Amino acid sequence: MKNKILDLKNLTKYYGKILGVKDLTLSLYEGEVFGFIGPNGAGKSTTIRMIMNLISKTKGEVLFQGEPLTQEMVEFKQQIGYLPSELYLYEDMTVKEILDYHASFYQKDCTKRRVDLVQRFQLDESKKIEELSFGTLKKVGIILAFMHEPKLLILDEPTSGLDPLMQQVFYKLILEEKKKGTTIFYSTHILSEISKVCDRVGLVKGGTLLRIETIEEMRKKSVLFVTIESDEIEKIKNALNITTIYQHGNEMKFKNQLSMDSFIRVLAQYHISKLLIEEGTLEDMLLEEYQ
Amino acid sequence: MLKRELKINLKSFIIWLGISIFLFLIVFLIYPSIIDSEQIGQINEFIKMFPEEVLKAFNMDISTLDSAYGWLKSEGFVFILLISGCYASILGSNILLKEENDKTIEYLIMLPMTRKKIVIQKVLVGVFYITMFVLGIGIFNWIGLSLSGNFDEIQYFYLSITPLLSSLVIFFICLFLSTFTHKTRKMIGISLGIVLLSYVLQMFSTLAEPTEFLKYFSVFTLADIRNVITNHTINLWMVGITILLSVFFFVMTLIRYQKKDLI
Repeated sequence: MKNKILDLKNLTKYYGKILGVKDLTLSLYEGEVFGFIGPNGAGKSTTIRMIMNLISKTKGEVLFQGEPLTQEMVEFKQQIGYLPSELYLYEDMTVKEILDYHASFYQKDCTKRRVDLVQRFQLDESKKIEELSFGTLKKVGIILAFMHEPKLLILDEPTSGLDPLMQQVFYKLILEEKKKGTTIFYSTHILSEISKVCDRVGLVKGGTLLRIETIEEMRKKSVLFVTIESDEIEKIKNALNITTIYQHGNEMKFKNQLSMDSFIRVLAQYHISKLLIEEGTLEDMLLEEYQ
Repeated sequence: MLKRELKINLKSFIIWLGISIFLFLIVFLIYPSIIDSEQIGQINEFIKMFPEEVLKAFNMDISTLDSAYGWLKSEGFVFILLISGCYASILGSNILLKEENDKTIEYLIMLPMTRKKIVIQKVLVGVFYITMFVLGIGIFNWIGLSLSGNFDEIQYFYLSITPLLSSLVIFFICLFLSTFTHKTRKMIGISLGIVLLSYVLQMFSTLAEPTEFLKYFSVFTLADIRNVITNHTINLWMVGITILLSVFFFVMTLIRYQKKDLI
């Protein structure tokens, strides 16, 4: 049994009478990448802010390696890396200055790791923070979160703003960290990246944790949308026995519920002009879930 | 962090001190011609026509305008109290709250340090700059007075440090109030309002006996300039009250900041 790194127990947050998060309980184990997914306003950032002690908890507690993670536990913060969804840094500083400033707070020497990360993300350290684009600022945020080689990483929408190339660099970095035994709390609403890096996933909506599943369990449930264009569209529709999402002339879109093998066998009997198979988005899947 | 705080607050310190010194420089430059003019006697006669309460409000009953030092003891120190009070109020409102207003607090909180340490370091910087501001004006005016003629150096020394008492309390009150909001713009308005209201209360308290009690609601009572002018000493009670009030609001700030939702 792996060690528990982070334990959230009955986390609850009310903003006055408005519910942020209710009775959220989950555990993260050593070396695990835990995806925390949900639509906007689901309570993901509120949960993370409670973990980081940015906001108070109405109820519940956060344990780091079995000990309460309070504001006073500075030695725990030495072992935690955090990337907020929108990072705001001191605009008067250069990238080099903020990295130096950041490193000065940690007991370990971050130089080697910092150089490696700066190279990977192709960052120009001479630029001023105020000159950086959202994507470049995100890269700085990633380096700040990773450079002290923390035991626990808390990442809130880490790839938003990164170009596809940098996203690949980032996914590679996550997988390396996972191999090293770093525990990662990965909050996102992009389903595709969850399947790339996560081991388990917690689904949150309306401030409540709906369920926790492994990525394999989730994959089995993922929805496929199919768009077909054919002269024999009515015949295909009858053969598949489906309800369409839309149908315009010779084109229709529907949700596939057959196994892929049976589906291909049916389609093989007809002439198909166009076939588009799309994996459902998180919203599609969540809508399924709620129905 | 201390180094960075000193650096980011240096610019506004230089601006505030520069403007204040510039205004006093003008006074020192034009005052010799005012003193030498034949009209100074008429000005003094004119001032004597004011009711005693009004003269008291500006310390003109215990000082005259026929020298730069006389002007400083009456109107000059009222101006120093106000300007150092405004500087302290803005510093107190901004020093913690700016991190929330600029949303850099999320970064600051992720660093391995407690909220208590954040408050202490920022307070140290605030107190340092307020002290430097009061000392800066004090030293400049000392040089100006030395070049303008004779003055009571011991009395001036005590006078020049009295603004520190009111400014420190204003700083700590504004710091505490800033823990109730997230936006600096709102807080700066409130802080400057406190300074001006405090000054008005202080003025009214000198005008008549029935309004004398108002002095207990004014921070400027702590900078007891009249006592320094008449007794050549600082009222130690005021020093004690300043320390007590500063510590009280500092501790309240620490308690409030520990519980504050920073986003």
